[in-house]
Amino acid sequence: MSDRIVGVLLALFAGWYGWEAGSYSVGFGDPMGPALFPEALAPPIGLLGLYLALRPDPEPEWSSGRYLLAQLATVAALVAYALLLQPLGFILATLLLVACLTAMLGARLPQALMGGAATSLGFFALFDWFLGIPLPPGLAFGG
Amino acid sequence: MDTLFSLAHGFTVATQPVNLLVAFIGCFVGTVIGALPGIGPVNGIAILIPLAFSLDLSPVSALILLTSVYYGSMFGGRIASILLNIPGDSSAVVTCIDGFPMAKKGLAADALAISAISSFAGGTLATIGLTVLAPTLAMAAIHFGPREYFALYVMAIVIVGGIATGNPAKTLVAGLLGLAIGTVGIDPATGIPRFTFGAYELYEGIDFVIVAIGLFAISEFLVYIEQRRSGPVEQVPVGRRSTALRRLTYPATSLRAGLLGFVIGVLPGAGATLASFMGYALEKRVSDKDGTFGKGDPRGVAAPEAADNAAAGGSLVPMLTLGVPGSGTTAIMLGMLVTLNVQPGPLLFQQQPEIVWGLVAALYVSNVILLVLNIPLVGLFAKLLTVPPHYLMPGVVTVSFLGVYSVNQNSFDLLMMVGFGVFGYLLRKLGIPLVPVVLGIILGTPMEQSLRRAMAASGGDVWTLLESPLALALHAVTACMILVAIVREARRRHGEAAAARGA
Amino acid sequence: MNIIAGRRALGAGMLGLAGLAAARPATAFVGPRPECLAPSAPGGGWDFTCRTVGRLMQELQVVDQPVQVSNMPGAVGAVAFANVTSRRAADHNLFVATSTVGLTQIAQRRYPGDIDRVRWLAMLGADTGVILVRADSRFKTLADFLGALKSDPGGIVTGGSSSLGGYDHLRLLLLAQKAGIPAADLKRFRWIHYDGGGPAVTQMLGGHVEVVSTDLAEIAGFVEAGQIRVLGAMAEARLAGAFADIPTAREQGYDVVGLNWRGFYTGGRVSDEHYNAMIAGLKRVYDSEGWKEAARRSGLQPVWRSGPEFERFVAGMVSELRGLSQEIGIIS
Repeated sequence: MSDRIVGVLLALFAGWYGWEAGSYSVGFGDPMGPALFPEALAPPIGLLGLYLALRPDPEPEWSSGRYLLAQLATVAALVAYALLLQPLGFILATLLLVACLTAMLGARLPQALMGGAATSLGFFALFDWFLGIPLPPGLAFGG
Repeated sequence: MDTLFSLAHGFTVATQPVNLLVAFIGCFVGTVIGALPGIGPVNGIAILIPLAFSLDLSPVSALILLTSVYYGSMFGGRIASILLNIPGDSSAVVTCIDGFPMAKKGLAADALAISAISSFAGGTLATIGLTVLAPTLAMAAIHFGPREYFALYVMAIVIVGGIATGNPAKTLVAGLLGLAIGTVGIDPATGIPRFTFGAYELYEGIDFVIVAIGLFAISEFLVYIEQRRSGPVEQVPVGRRSTALRRLTYPATSLRAGLLGFVIGVLPGAGATLASFMGYALEKRVSDKDGTFGKGDPRGVAAPEAADNAAAGGSLVPMLTLGVPGSGTTAIMLGMLVTLNVQPGPLLFQQQPEIVWGLVAALYVSNVILLVLNIPLVGLFAKLLTVPPHYLMPGVVTVSFLGVYSVNQNSFDLLMMVGFGVFGYLLRKLGIPLVPVVLGIILGTPMEQSLRRAMAASGGDVWTLLESPLALALHAVTACMILVAIVREARRRHGEAAAARGA
Repeated sequence: MNIIAGRRALGAGMLGLAGLAAARPATAFVGPRPECLAPSAPGGGWDFTCRTVGRLMQELQVVDQPVQVSNMPGAVGAVAFANVTSRRAADHNLFVATSTVGLTQIAQRRYPGDIDRVRWLAMLGADTGVILVRADSRFKTLADFLGALKSDPGGIVTGGSSSLGGYDHLRLLLLAQKAGIPAADLKRFRWIHYDGGGPAVTQMLGGHVEVVSTDLAEIAGFVEAGQIRVLGAMAEARLAGAFADIPTAREQGYDVVGLNWRGFYTGGRVSDEHYNAMIAGLKRVYDSEGWKEAARRSGLQPVWRSGPEFERFVAGMVSELRGLSQEIGIIS
């Protein structure tokens, strides 16, 4: 069933992709233009999608129960991290993220907090000081 | 004889104690930096340039420092590929295919040693090729025009299909999706933005680092959570090499892949990525009798590593003879030469042979030092895997975020990485391979541009693509590969009617 | 955890070095991490500008950290422009190489935004447009080439480092216009876009493109090596030094001047104070012997314009190029 759904989605995507590509054009001089290459990609993607819909592989075993919940929570934490990195600053945001993930993977809370602190401070030192890649300081250093 | 004399002089300079020390530092720092995904030679060079100036190094020593950082970080990239399944740079993608399964089997140290040894073999081959053949090869390479490049890229896309195992339709879809993702951004030939939805963040296209780290590292984390369902994930014993060094050398593999890699490296623009997976595909075709490739076959690590390093050497040919960068590496080196007040160009060989041969010797010395330095260290690197997973995995996620953040320093890229992580997880569950997606993204733009150039030259006549004998020959080889694949697939389906799906 | 600890120790060691560097007297030029952004691949003209100016800034101690040159190729500078305007508008560490080529793109509305989105710092020199063929080409003079183009507009494959309608292409069209080729025929020219003058000339040596229109500086080495012939230079007068025997287009009867000046812009929200400091730093580079030497070697003529004067010059150039592009029919 999964493959059938994916196949149909791919076919729909291919349709949209090819249609959108058709709107790109230039006035003169480029015989092929910016549209042709993506337009040429769309039909095979669509056909392969339909093929998958008609000849699916056996159903994969999907995640379920608390493992699915854990995965969803992880994704939510990652999204939150991406949004909070700049406002909160690297050290605080990373401490929270790593502590959450570590706790979720089965560590005790104090251990998780320790792990978070070590990871965030270590990487801050490595990137900001050693590699010269500025990381957002945020709240940790008073903005 | 002149050439050999100049090269010998280059080696005399490169093996002076101060230069050896500099190369040693460069290799070590480079390895450490390269092991961080998304952080590459550019960052390493940026860090060490102040060091070069504060130590008041001579131009040749500075050059040696920078080339050794480059080589070091290339090897470092392999550490992340093999241990964590994160390709640190585009030419490390293929190394994941067999390197990570080897690590899962507890052979991480072996895989790292193979990588170091084959890289060395490839580098040696390239140095020899460069010394003997450079001028001849440069003249041959300029005959490669848009049609020939297009034929090469088409062949590469088809080869992608041969790399992955599993349902061929899904492999093909993965490659095509990669090509489609590659079309996002401003079209280089006309300046028109495509599939950007007005978002400036997408004007530059989607950076390879974002896609690769998302698809591989983040999806790995999601998979790991789920694996705990079937009981605690057992830790593999790691740390020691299980095999004698002698048995980790694959001379035939290195030779085949290295020669191929060198030839591809000579073509400006084709680069190490193409070389690494063409080398892998060739090896798989030649050696994969028992279907062990993709499941941790050591030759699957040796081949791309040898090809990749040979290509890095090969790409020096267009740089030194024509002043045209043949790859990311040489682009950085060209910049370094300008900084050292050396004008690259077709006259470099005649006007400043000491720089040219000094550089060649420096590259080779870096190769040797990397081998000497890293063989004893592979056990130490592999110990990284003994960190308990509930500390290691969140650390890997943090490094992934950092690698992506270092590209453009914005949240949009981070969100995109998470998105690709979820996407990669779904693809893995569905049995759609990830490697073709990444390679499609890398190859898409050069493939389209070479096609557009060919069309512009011919005024839109499609048949021009077949009017060059070289291009025609390449297309013929591609057609043969497709035919063989179809026949094999038909036989396989016939033979095992109820085939169980692979992982 | 061993490795992490090792890295941290290394980081601390490097930190000591950074401290040493910071102990030197502060200069007013830019922030702590001066960066020159070249919107092209390494080896291109903009890359050359960045690296030469960056090297001189350090030699002259205009900066106390080395200038980091980063490359962001894509859509003839539009990608870098988008990046600067959207993400780094207030970054006073950053100066971006540009030229007439970039302005042409802005004039044809190919950049995401007009000239007022950034602050124009200064120009330091001008490169000369040249028309090139292989040394063994059937064309010996501009008249040979333009005559052939007139009789068969779609029969000659031309190329250069700009996309369609970009400055390399535009200069060729201007020459053709002066040769009396009608506007309808201009659209029939075959034009191949390459990522730089070097790759274009390399492909010309391989016979994949017959005539290349680009700038002199980037391909000067090929001229010196005798592999290619310059049919004409689009300069006001003959160049000095090694290039003195190159005939100008003007003396061959085609009055086209196609100079590609080299200069810099910075983000639109950089403060006046930093803007002026950056201009002062660039002026010191311009006044140095090193710049004159670098310019002479690569066929660049030193020219200085800065601040408001440069901004007026840019505005005038954009309106001129925009009119021209409309006249020829590149944009509507």
